[in-house]
Amino acid sequence: MGASSSVGASLELRLEGISKRFGQVVALDRSDLTVEPGLLLSLLGPSGCGKTTTLRIIAGFESPDTGRVVIGDRDVGQLPPNKRGLGMVFQNYSLFPHMTVGENIAFGLKMARVGPREVRSRVGEMLDLVHLPGFEERYPHQLSGGQQQRVALARSLVTRPAVLLLDEPLGALDKNLRENMQFELRRIQRTLGTTTILVTHDQEEALTLSDRVVVMNQGKILQVGSPNDVYEFPHTRFVSEFLGASNLFEGGLAHAGDGTFELAVTHGEDTTVLRVLHDDNVGTGEAMIAVRPEKISLSEEAPDRGNVVRGEVAGHVFRGSYHAYEIEVAGRDDPVFVYSQARSRSGEQVFQPGQAVHMSWDESDSVLLTDN
Amino acid sequence: MSNTTSATPSAPLRRTRGFAGAVSPWWILLAGAFLVFFFVAPIANNLLNTDNLATLAERNPPSFYYKKLLTDAYYLKIVGVTVALSVGVTLICVLVGYPVALYLVRYAGRWSGLVIFLLIAPLLTSIIMRTFGWRVIFARRGILNDFLLSIDMLERPIMFLNGPGSVVVGLVHVLVPFMVLSIASVLRSIDPQIEESARILGANRFQTFLRVTFPLSLDGIGTGFIIVFLLANGSFVTLLLLGGGELRTLPLLIYQQFTISRDFQFAAAMSNVLLAIAVGCLYLQLRLIRRKGVKG
Repeated sequence: MGASSSVGASLELRLEGISKRFGQVVALDRSDLTVEPGLLLSLLGPSGCGKTTTLRIIAGFESPDTGRVVIGDRDVGQLPPNKRGLGMVFQNYSLFPHMTVGENIAFGLKMARVGPREVRSRVGEMLDLVHLPGFEERYPHQLSGGQQQRVALARSLVTRPAVLLLDEPLGALDKNLRENMQFELRRIQRTLGTTTILVTHDQEEALTLSDRVVVMNQGKILQVGSPNDVYEFPHTRFVSEFLGASNLFEGGLAHAGDGTFELAVTHGEDTTVLRVLHDDNVGTGEAMIAVRPEKISLSEEAPDRGNVVRGEVAGHVFRGSYHAYEIEVAGRDDPVFVYSQARSRSGEQVFQPGQAVHMSWDESDSVLLTDN
Repeated sequence: MSNTTSATPSAPLRRTRGFAGAVSPWWILLAGAFLVFFFVAPIANNLLNTDNLATLAERNPPSFYYKKLLTDAYYLKIVGVTVALSVGVTLICVLVGYPVALYLVRYAGRWSGLVIFLLIAPLLTSIIMRTFGWRVIFARRGILNDFLLSIDMLERPIMFLNGPGSVVVGLVHVLVPFMVLSIASVLRSIDPQIEESARILGANRFQTFLRVTFPLSLDGIGTGFIIVFLLANGSFVTLLLLGGGELRTLPLLIYQQFTISRDFQFAAAMSNVLLAIAVGCLYLQLRLIRRKGVKG
């Protein structure tokens, strides 16, 4: 695939104390971020969290109020976008409608004054990489959304950028195509080893594609970690709830020794003690733990170990690969969500609304939210 | 010709179909009848007027007038001046109007409403008033001469009026809003991210404009060109008031044929030739735009 010849120098990207205000609104609040060379890092958060602003500051379309943008060991803060050596893909592709696919991809090379022969071979190489060989003469409007996105990707990578910026690149595609393109994007990024920053509000996309996930909210970086880390060990309620469904239990926390804590949760008259593992010496007092719906199992009989909460099935839907239950707990405002894997066609027990059940999970399957 | 909207062609199409469905065919017939009575019929009538309106003692066949118009050096020159003036005014409108349109769309921000108002407000005034305004400015003892004399740029007043210069200024002033609005509407439809894509791919501001923004706005220039050209082609008030008879064009001549020489046959022939020129240029421009503009 000629990939080796397309590998640019993969560089580290560093943001140091970047902040940005738009009028009264703080879009970005003194944020630091490092992207190691060759990794794909995603900025994940709801709209208005500052992720797009971060990307636009890196690209040079916005200038930060404070802080430095460093690519490799060069401070690019004062450079215009065209001098930063980046690649960028936008959500709506932004192909040049008056140019053919070939001309679109060749644009960056022509700006860099690459000779016509090399332009032709590199354009062909990129079209092979995105599985669109022979599409040079077509116009963007003759392509499907997925094909346009591949061309946009090829156009941004052909110049061998030091860092590739992806702004919601799959947002405009329908679900099936989006999943295909996720794998496709990951394959291409791995092949070229380009340092990549992906902006997305889709937690599934962030988890699927990234080496590192950065969860942002209200202009602040809340947590940075591997997809597994941020999903399994969220530090805050926001991270826990933004990355998929999460059940929260609130109560008084007490240290039980040996890396174990006990949370006394009051549901009406009853007080249930939930155990949770945590290695730090966190302060005791009011605290919150989070449990993912798929970590909880349901049973009629009370299990003899783990955390157990009694409740009543309030709702049940079958979602193909799993059953989703809403369990009402007396004295608790929100229902508890439980996902149970649909293993065989007839084997497992399906609980009916109105049935009394015991929810249980292992103490290592819940996480203490330390940073609220 | 529609370029940037190609991504979502179905939505507006469906809306149009829904609208056409709601309107019964009878209304279309009514509109058609209106056009036939007030547009097609007068033009057809005028084609015959070269023969019908023979009011002078001598009666000439229509071919006499057309031959005179298209072979006599005097009249040929007038035809040439008419076309040249229209093309010149239109080109100046492009040069003057494009930066305004670009500013309006890309940089005016919350002031864009004000800019549009300033553009359109003069259209609320009668063209005669606006043209007289220029007479006040350009007159021998007018504002411009007074100013130039006062700062010692001139020794004695210049005759600005009654020449091609004042006519062109007057026409550009009247017609440039149409150019600005045509270009601005197309510029507005260009996604700024397309320009940002070019920037990040290594193009500086100027290269981005030259290779992306400008080619994508050709449609707007084309539309503005046609509108301004046709309006300039048919204008005569400005010529009458600012040209002082120095600059002779077909519309002016038609006016004179009706009011002074009362040769209606000749006037009708002239207006037919003017119409033919307009239609011919329109056809050429449409073809040119279609070839140069964005395919899609």
